[in-house]
Amino acid sequence: MASLAGGNGDLNSGEKRFAVLLTAPSLLVLLLTTTFPLAYLVWSSFQTINLAMPFLDGFAGFDNYIEMWDDSRYWHSIGLTGIYTVSSVSMQVVIGMGLALLVMQIPQGQWIFRIVAILPIVLAPVVVGLFWRTLMLAPNFGMIDFIIQWLGFEQVNWLGAPVPALISVIAIHTWQWTPFAFLVFLASLASLPTDVYEAARIDKANALQRFWYITLPLLRPAIVIVVIMRAMISLAAFAAIFAATGGGPGTATEILNLYAFKTSFIELNFGYGSALAVSLLVITMVVSGVLFRLRTARGAGGN
Amino acid sequence: MSNEREKQRHIHGSNVSRRSVLKAGVAGAATLAAPGLLIGRAHAAGEHMDLDSFMGAGIDWHMADGAQINIGVIPAGYFKNLEAVLPDFKTLTGVDARLEMIPPGQIRQKAVLDLSSKTGTYASHSADPMYYQLYVTNGWIDPLDDYLGNGKLTDNKWFDFEDIQPGHRGATSVDGRPYGIPFDGEATIQIYRKDVYDAAGIGPAETLEEYESNAAKIHDPDNRLWGCALRGFRGAGQNMYIYPSIFRSYGGEWFDGDRITVDTPEALGALEYYVKLLNNYAPKGVENWNWPDIADAFGQGTVGSYIDAHGSAAVVANPEKSKVVGKIGFARWPKGPSGKRVTSIWNWSFPINGALTDKQKQATWLFNQWAGSREVQVATSYAFPGAYKRTGANRASLWEDPKFLDLMGKFGHNYVQAATESFANDTDPDWRPRLPQWPAVGDTMATAIQSALVGQATPADALKDAQKKIDKILKT
Repeated sequence: MASLAGGNGDLNSGEKRFAVLLTAPSLLVLLLTTTFPLAYLVWSSFQTINLAMPFLDGFAGFDNYIEMWDDSRYWHSIGLTGIYTVSSVSMQVVIGMGLALLVMQIPQGQWIFRIVAILPIVLAPVVVGLFWRTLMLAPNFGMIDFIIQWLGFEQVNWLGAPVPALISVIAIHTWQWTPFAFLVFLASLASLPTDVYEAARIDKANALQRFWYITLPLLRPAIVIVVIMRAMISLAAFAAIFAATGGGPGTATEILNLYAFKTSFIELNFGYGSALAVSLLVITMVVSGVLFRLRTARGAGGN
Repeated sequence: MSNEREKQRHIHGSNVSRRSVLKAGVAGAATLAAPGLLIGRAHAAGEHMDLDSFMGAGIDWHMADGAQINIGVIPAGYFKNLEAVLPDFKTLTGVDARLEMIPPGQIRQKAVLDLSSKTGTYASHSADPMYYQLYVTNGWIDPLDDYLGNGKLTDNKWFDFEDIQPGHRGATSVDGRPYGIPFDGEATIQIYRKDVYDAAGIGPAETLEEYESNAAKIHDPDNRLWGCALRGFRGAGQNMYIYPSIFRSYGGEWFDGDRITVDTPEALGALEYYVKLLNNYAPKGVENWNWPDIADAFGQGTVGSYIDAHGSAAVVANPEKSKVVGKIGFARWPKGPSGKRVTSIWNWSFPINGALTDKQKQATWLFNQWAGSREVQVATSYAFPGAYKRTGANRASLWEDPKFLDLMGKFGHNYVQAATESFANDTDPDWRPRLPQWPAVGDTMATAIQSALVGQATPADALKDAQKKIDKILKT
């Protein structure tokens, strides 16, 4: 960072102009592909745009936002989004950390685990959703059902009943993205200084103490980054749930993003759908803002 | 993935027809069969439609020569048959029409986005009849009486619009004006395992009550036979395909003045019947089943009966896919407490996109007319050389054509009678509430029905909730 800032200061005005010229095309593309649609989204959230009733279209003020207030389906979807994000992110961190610690113990062949771990990540979420829906969770034919019945348990209708369906979509997301946490933690673990551990061993700290007082604090930046990145993605999850349950059964897995999509593209109520999407955007920004604040506050305290 | 293949096939096909432009005339028609594998297979030389029968129409088929139009359709057998005979349309009119296969889950959205942005990407598309109110309210499509009544564009003596099933014509009209040309339509009928019913000493149900008791009598999940199945998947075209028929059989009325009512005692009776029937006698997972899943299960012999479109018979009576060929019986929709039998008036039809140029509109009208004509209906049905022959012919006269009935008779016991009597007596113009807000209303109902089915809410609560939401949708 410092060297970049220093370099910048050394640029003469001609070079600066050239630098602006170089970045202009990408800035323009960014502006057109992200800023403009975002502004349009916010604009339409203050409009009545309903293709089923075009004669009512016009400026709506805050009507769309006021409507959310007593829309029970909205609050239901917010609740689901919260459950989905908190449970899947915490499971990703815990399982990913456990796997990373385990693999670190293996002296040879860690690369095999790295490659295997990448596989779920590179799959398109839609494919993941369909894969779980048809091959793993389908009643009578799915692998999970087969194993459960083979073990002598009662059949569970995973995607057909409200609570199992929610558990399923959380499990699917966790399955796909735990490897990401695992890879980050594995890389961080590999870069930890060994001398601290040697000192701890001399002081006769046991494994749990070493983990709790050394590994965890040293990994904190990695953990916080994983939590921030995964939380932002989980809040806006869409494709895997869309493919696996479509938000159903009923509204049992209809997180906010799906509700916004349905309102806009199935019910054709674009004004209200935009307002729902904006509210998701605000929630995501607030959550990641708080998480970032936590990270810097801790970091400052530690230093 | 099959869509990808569809697209490839399609691109291939269009290359062929473009190449054929260069080798104009009769020679062109002959080369069509040679390079295109698809066309070669499905449409062997010598099986082209007789151009003369089209020349009987007193219109200039070449009025839009050279126009290019894009038609969005779902990748279903009936449209694949249409695609196979499409080169004949080019020969007849000089119009380059391309069929683009769009999965059924996306075609409505794609069409709405295209129509609302007035890009004119799809000159026409296989339209959901429930969407016509929406299209017309926004002025997105052209009324067809202007085309039908124009002697330069239509020779009605030849085309005979009135021969198209009245139920389907009604479903694609708004305020008495036609907006779409029905291509393929369905009746909803009972489909049951005749051998199983015979062994149990029962016949097809006359009433919904009897349908339930029939299911109870043959229900034997330990031996992998479930009593019945109906569409359970959530969607305006899935569980909201079957529920409206039950609702109407229970005497339900969608409209109370301008208000839509979905929480009446009749509605509750219908939903309770549906939930109880499926929870007691349908296989686990039925809440995620659409008709292909049901037809597959029936074909594998694990479901004793179902109620769905007559066209699904082509799947369950196909020896390559089904183990129950020759053991199938058909019957009309069972009477509900109101004494009514109610079949859907479902059909796929072709409108004209209002955002097109005049020449493209003419070309699209020629296409719609051609696809809806008796000749093409025959060519894609019993005269089609491939294994799959369409059963959803749009014309009343075809349902009296011995060759067509001969084809239909092969599907199983009482098939022709069940289907023809349903078309004649059981169609109900108020099967579903026709209004521009249908997409929102249909989806709200679909969610409520599935919630009740899986026990997320009681039927009464689910309907009360839906009523509240629908009141809000219509008021805003």
